[in-house]
Amino acid sequence: MEPSRELNFDALVIGGGIAGLQAALDLADQNFKVAIVEKDATIGGKMIRLSKVFPTLDCASCITTPKMAASAHHENISIFTYCDLTSLKRDGQEIKADITQMPRYVDADKCIGCRQCEYGCPVYVPNHEEGNFNFRKAIYIPFSNAIPQIALMDVENCSLCGKCAKVCPTGAVDYFQQPEDFVIRAKTAVLATGFKLTPMDQKPQYGGGKIQNLISSLDMERLLAPHGPYQRVIRPSDGKEPDSIAYVQCAGSRDKTLGVPYCSRVCCMYAIKQAMLLSGALPLADITIYYMDIRAFGKGYEQFFQNAKAMGIEFVKAKIAKIEQADNQYVRLRYEDQEGNGGVVEREHDLVVMSLGMVPDWNPAGVCDVACDTDAFIKSTIPSLAPTVTSIEGVFAAGVAIGPKDIVDTIAEAGAAAMEASKYLNALENPKAA
Amino acid sequence: MSTKKTAETEEPRVGVYICHCGGNISDHVDVKKVAENLEKVPGVAVAHTNMFMCSDPGQELIQEDIKSGKINRVVVASCAPSLHETTFRGAIKRADMNPYLYEHANIREQVSWVHHGEAATAKATSLVTAAVAKAKELEALDPIKVDAARHATVIGGGIAGLRAALDLAQRGIEVALIEKSPFLGGQAANLERIVPTGERAADLIQDLAAKVMADSRIRVYTCSRIVKSEGYVGNFKITLKTQPPDSQADLEKLQEVAAKGEKPGRFVPFAGFLAVKVPTTASEQVLDSGAIVFATGFSTYTPRDGEFGYGQNPEVITLPQLIRFMSQEKSRGRSLTINGRTIRRVALVHCVGSRQIPGIHEPDADGGLNEYCSRTCCAATLQAASEIRERYPLTHVLEYYRDIRTYGRGQEEFYERASENHVMFLRYEPEDPPQVERLSKGNFPLRVTVKDTLTFGEALSADVDLVVLSVGMVPSRIADLVDMMKLPVGADRFLQEVHPKLRPVELANTGILLAGTCQAPMDISEACNAAAAAAAKATSLLSKGYVELDPFVAQVDLSRCKGNGACVAACTVDAIVMQTVEVDGQSVERAEVNPALCTGCGVCVAVCPENAIDVKGWTLEQYEAMVDAIVAD
Amino acid sequence: MMSDQKKSDKEGLKALRQQRKASIERARKAIKAQNQNVKAIREQMKSGGKTIPEIAAGAGLPTDQVLVYVASLKKYGMVIEGPKDGDYFKYELAPK
Ligand SMILES: Cc1cc2nc3c(=O)[nH]c(=O)nc-3n(C[C@H](O)[C@H](O)[C@H](O)COP(=O)(O)OP(=O)(O)OC[C@H]3O[C@@H](n4cnc5c(N)ncnc54)[C@H](O)[C@@H]3O)c2cc1C
Ligand code: SF4
Ligand code: SF4
Repeated sequence: MEPSRELNFDALVIGGGIAGLQAALDLADQNFKVAIVEKDATIGGKMIRLSKVFPTLDCASCITTPKMAASAHHENISIFTYCDLTSLKRDGQEIKADITQMPRYVDADKCIGCRQCEYGCPVYVPNHEEGNFNFRKAIYIPFSNAIPQIALMDVENCSLCGKCAKVCPTGAVDYFQQPEDFVIRAKTAVLATGFKLTPMDQKPQYGGGKIQNLISSLDMERLLAPHGPYQRVIRPSDGKEPDSIAYVQCAGSRDKTLGVPYCSRVCCMYAIKQAMLLSGALPLADITIYYMDIRAFGKGYEQFFQNAKAMGIEFVKAKIAKIEQADNQYVRLRYEDQEGNGGVVEREHDLVVMSLGMVPDWNPAGVCDVACDTDAFIKSTIPSLAPTVTSIEGVFAAGVAIGPKDIVDTIAEAGAAAMEASKYLNALENPKAA
Repeated sequence: MSTKKTAETEEPRVGVYICHCGGNISDHVDVKKVAENLEKVPGVAVAHTNMFMCSDPGQELIQEDIKSGKINRVVVASCAPSLHETTFRGAIKRADMNPYLYEHANIREQVSWVHHGEAATAKATSLVTAAVAKAKELEALDPIKVDAARHATVIGGGIAGLRAALDLAQRGIEVALIEKSPFLGGQAANLERIVPTGERAADLIQDLAAKVMADSRIRVYTCSRIVKSEGYVGNFKITLKTQPPDSQADLEKLQEVAAKGEKPGRFVPFAGFLAVKVPTTASEQVLDSGAIVFATGFSTYTPRDGEFGYGQNPEVITLPQLIRFMSQEKSRGRSLTINGRTIRRVALVHCVGSRQIPGIHEPDADGGLNEYCSRTCCAATLQAASEIRERYPLTHVLEYYRDIRTYGRGQEEFYERASENHVMFLRYEPEDPPQVERLSKGNFPLRVTVKDTLTFGEALSADVDLVVLSVGMVPSRIADLVDMMKLPVGADRFLQEVHPKLRPVELANTGILLAGTCQAPMDISEACNAAAAAAAKATSLLSKGYVELDPFVAQVDLSRCKGNGACVAACTVDAIVMQTVEVDGQSVERAEVNPALCTGCGVCVAVCPENAIDVKGWTLEQYEAMVDAIVAD
Repeated sequence: MMSDQKKSDKEGLKALRQQRKASIERARKAIKAQNQNVKAIREQMKSGGKTIPEIAAGAGLPTDQVLVYVASLKKYGMVIEGPKDGDYFKYELAPK
């Protein structure tokens, strides 16, 4: 059945991470009408989930929330969260997107974000947002600065006991909500679908994801966030405050066998950043970074790296060959010593962080025939002079969706994608002027 | 009746909002206590705290209090106003209140990041109380609207400048592209193939420059410099001087071009795209422009005399020189030859003029150090190494590096290719850089010795025919423009953006934008992204035909002004003039402020003997109220 | 009297319960086990602040699981963090 609802915009942005938000803002400020479609229940992408950001060490929330709020309140921007993009195609002069609004089982117009339902719900569910370090409920608000502040229900874990509906002061809980299909037509689109981390369990020699106190770098971001799962850094295995913490660099990158031949660009810098934050939070802890090359190439980054060295963070040039569980929940790292006396060295740490790489979050296959490179990132057809141009006319891309990059580079690229999209819109309106 | 009007006549009811900033503030300041203290201050209607005031729920807190009529003034105590003042003004405006009935107290940078414990809480209380005192005195203001020229001036005709000019023109904005040399293309003209795409730099420049020349909305001024700049966003007045080329480098390039019989409209390798005929006489003109885009790019670092033997040995050259030699090298031998000399072994040294460390590296004549990484030299060096190995299999290559920074997609392959090509890698620590010495006997002119950390710190010596220094980027010399326009420059001497994440392509000077390597080292694709982002910002600024400026400008109280004129003399930006006005039937001189020019600096306030001039939003009365509040306890 | 709306909701819920039988069953089991764990953990804290290993030993649960529970109880306001004891923090029941 053809969906009844059809909406028209000048531009459609897929993905509400920092790339999508910036592109939308730059278009909306030029007076174009923009729709942002996001698959998550909140906008903000990875950035809103970080602790502080290099190289300025601003709190990530402090920089992200204003952009989230500015988008949410912009008169030219409409935001659609918790949506599944099922098709994105060029349709004559337009881009046509088929979208399914996933049911939240909560009426978005009625919910006031008070979290009464969450407190009322009796089911504890591992909280993926917090690295599974704590629980959420079967009905919940993703986190305190999510936008929109609307609850959603996870029916897989719901016992249908009816408590949430009973406690909701506005009668917003709706157990019968159904997915709803609609169509967005726009003249241009920006793909800003971002990344996910390379998996923890990829390498058998790194324990296949089964080692206690071996966590991912995003998990560490949550531990360091001021409103994180423990509100301090302790070992997930037993709550011990760690005396020694280590980073394994290039844990998912620069490795052809994993299908990730490229360097992910941000993991050196985020490891250094986290190490600095850790030495602030745990002044007595030893912090070691095992690396192949430190890639601190952005503005102010090398200085940041040198500061970290001066603070006493230990940098060891080594490729970690093996990671194992040691006694007392310690993590043992084995590597070939290059700089000291040679030979195989083993060291144990309380807590070890895998500096995982970036792979694209979205696989367009079957949804959109935009061309991708062999490494699965969206392909830029004018890579040097106009990196945001894709294989589909009028469709542009920005952020990690077209290759790993940090926030600064992502924001610049989002501005560039907005520029390409606005030129495209301008040319449609004034065919002669183009 | 709008709330704007009522706010002034009603009793002030101040809403105070204190931010935890996640913990940034609340770890050191007892924010609850501050709120309790503030609740007792006369005129405070509500005092709330929130985890993140800048978040949506935080902003809504303010908006609800406004809408319910509880408050008619707002004080937010949080981070520096440079971060979020506009955020909160926006929130207030959306709640239909005048956004200038707002005062910001910085209790993060000025309190929690520098003080701890009770002292921090006490200081925060003082600062917020002072902000409340000022808020009670605030008046509703309206932003100043000025017409904006739909015209932008792009300074610099390198890749970024070309990209920005083209983008602006394609959005219907007239562009003046100003380039000091006779050529377009900038530093990219000195490259052969670019990393990582392998495209020819010549093709990229030809492509962009030809489009720029063909666009009727762009006027290209080569051999031109800005000699004067006045005005403000929307209305810059830029004086341009066009002159016959006089720099040695330009003259040499022009001779080469003439020798080849090249005409304007074509790219000439290692010179650039000759845009138009070079002028034979000097001329000046004035442009009216709404925005300025800086795309003044970089120069390559010139090694000091003796740095790795440079300047003292003809066999020590820089990477750009090597690239040029190799492009001119036509011989098909199995060894690289340079100036007729067979190169059997070459040493490439990374990080020359980059990643300098205080205490290890010597500062330059101005006392500066290039502490940053130049970002592009690793990949360029690896590419050169592989090219030597592939074209000249009998020439051996050694690379001396600190970290190989082939970041991002498509770059790691250059590292791998070099390894497969049997380039030998040696790694040095900055404390022990490779030593280059001249050999008086033997087969080779130079010896390079290094403590190689890849082989347990062993000292390794290699005799070589050539040493190539991978020189980094330094910003172009634009001290004249920096002085003229009062531009912020960072410790690294590149132009300094307002905030790397919030406003990455803007300078603090409203209407002046940043494109490319004048801001920091970048490669071509990154510079193009930055240029396009700057063009997008300029387009949003200019597309409405007007710009809005903050109303914090000087205002003359005509009932007090006696026409003394001290303010006119004191104003550094000529924003005040004397006007003849009628007072009681008599013609007298009185001061008048041009609000668009006024920067709100307040020097006029300090010199006026009659106290007849004040800066709106920062009046003497408001300052006094703040001081009184601070000294009250 | 029950309104038509309520009646149809009731029937709808019945149908929904039928439809989601498997997941509801799982959730109910989970609640039961969770409540037991929470009870056991709270029991340990009744005599005063305890570290995660102490609670785990007393409650007969693995330390990592106990930490997840304690972190969650803290988030929902039922537990507070107390002073540090060696390398570990003590956790206490929140005052009522
Ligand atoms: C551990 C860690 C620490 C970091 N620290 C820093 C730092 O300190 N400083 C810094 O500069 N950078 C840092 N980074 C990098 C930073 O996270 C990225 O540069 C940035 O988040 C990229 O933004 P993005 O918008 O491109 O991608 P994302 O943040 O991934 O956003 C993409 C959005 O698109 C949505 N989406 C995906 N597919 C679809 C679809 N089909 N339909 C609709 N929506 C979709 C996603 O849900 C997501 O919201 C860090 C990265 C990591 C992993
Ligand atoms: S107001 Fe500023 S400092 Fe406070 S939380 Fe928001 S962002 Fe952080
Ligand atoms: S940024 Fe650093 S850790 Fe990440 S892949 Fe590149 S070199 Fe490895």
